Amino acid sequence: MSGTTTAADATALAAVTEIDASITGIEDRLAAWAAETGTALAALSGRVTGGPVDKLIRPVVEELVRAPGGYAAGAGFLANAGLLGPERSYIAWWHGEELEHVDALANFSPTSISRYVKSEWFRIPVETGQAHVTGPYVDFLCTDEYVLTFTHPVFRCSEGPVAGIVGMDVTVQRLERGALPALRRIGERATLVYDDGRAIASAAPDIAAGDLAAAGEGCRVYSVGRKFRIWSGGTAI
Amino acid sequence: MLPTPQGASRSLAAVFTPIKSRGLVDEVCGRIEQAVETGLLTGGQRLPNETELAAALGVSAVTAREALSQLRTSGIIRTVRGRSGGSFIADDVFPSPERALEQLRELTRLQISDLGLHYQAIAAACAGVAARRSDAADMATLRSLIPPEEANPLHWRLALSEFLLEVAAIARSARLARELIRLQTELGALTLLPCADSGYRAGAAGLLAEVAGAVESHQPAAAEASVKALIAATTDWLLNEQSTRSIPPVPSS
Repeated sequence: MSGTTTAADATALAAVTEIDASITGIEDRLAAWAAETGTALAALSGRVTGGPVDKLIRPVVEELVRAPGGYAAGAGFLANAGLLGPERSYIAWWHGEELEHVDALANFSPTSISRYVKSEWFRIPVETGQAHVTGPYVDFLCTDEYVLTFTHPVFRCSEGPVAGIVGMDVTVQRLERGALPALRRIGERATLVYDDGRAIASAAPDIAAGDLAAAGEGCRVYSVGRKFRIWSGGTAI
Repeated sequence: MLPTPQGASRSLAAVFTPIKSRGLVDEVCGRIEQAVETGLLTGGQRLPNETELAAALGVSAVTAREALSQLRTSGIIRTVRGRSGGSFIADDVFPSPERALEQLRELTRLQISDLGLHYQAIAAACAGVAARRSDAADMATLRSLIPPEEANPLHWRLALSEFLLEVAAIARSARLARELIRLQTELGALTLLPCADSGYRAGAAGLLAEVAGAVESHQPAAAEASVKALIAATTDWLLNEQSTRSIPPVPSS
């Protein structure tokens, strides 16, 4: 009896580890990219302009969005005010396999920073100096999809102000595809939720992505990545 | 200036969606017109040269040049020659009531009422789902988008479309949100006309509060009904205005 429980536990734990590895993988890749970008920006002499930033960012975006089985639907860099000019931001963000340049016209606006400064995915990493995950939300600026945006601050020098952020858009659809088989091994109502209890993917047929859900009574709760939890049994509310 | 507290305006999103169908030149012009209309580019501001514009939008330099020339012809940009020259957004351009009236005259009654029905169907679907999925943070954003009655027509027009897009965002349906953006682009400057009428604004303000209340208190049926009423108010206003304006002048005897 206890033998079977242990085996079921081990299966569930292995499945949790699998989902955690995917999400932590995204977060770690972003942290490494932020560090590389900071070093490269520090090496640029004189005033930073758009061209060199594009050259720095685009190849990485290309690698991220074209990686087979990768999670990124789009990715890029957004300059904080001060890097290129006082009120100016600069967006070097590309989306999809065709690498469409997102929000390109905004780079010609002298007050472009006002366009992004209140967005959670930009504001929080800039204010806190910490990585952040925004969402899930319908992304009108870039993908027009239901996404999570992972962002990480970029520093040109260790004590300096935040020079900008690097980020990655991950569609909920891709996360569902990646996580659902493992969720099913955890339990027939196992649910991956964001911090606030918003479902991202669930093995339960009555819980859809975007629904608010609750942890079932007596269910196990596993913490995954920075911002997510898995409930071994979710309840629709 | 954008009247939204969110910074990145959602109605601007349509401006930056990938260029695919339609003539590329028209598409580039459309983007720039919309960027002007929504305040991203403002009167007097210098535009990038054709090489920069082409690179940014991923079109050929020839396309960019033609687009600039077309914008010049339609008076949206002006070009100054010489050393400090370049292309500038004309002062005082969009969106104008004249342009909106012209658009209204071109539409048949059938087109207006059919567009209204489509808009109602999509917005009501959004409102119904939003009423199931709303949380406190959603409601703070939604309520912040309700404009004061005395705000100017341009502000009102943008706020109305932002409000409905936020309802779609609360519903968390990408498909419904995309369809709503498409419909709003189709409506274009038209909604500027009722927004200039204080009677319409008073009624709409009440309906916006009703929608927000129903979404907040998780009442899908009430949310759907009040969103439908909001769009019907717009459609009815436009149909009325069109009949009033199309009365032929009395022939002098």
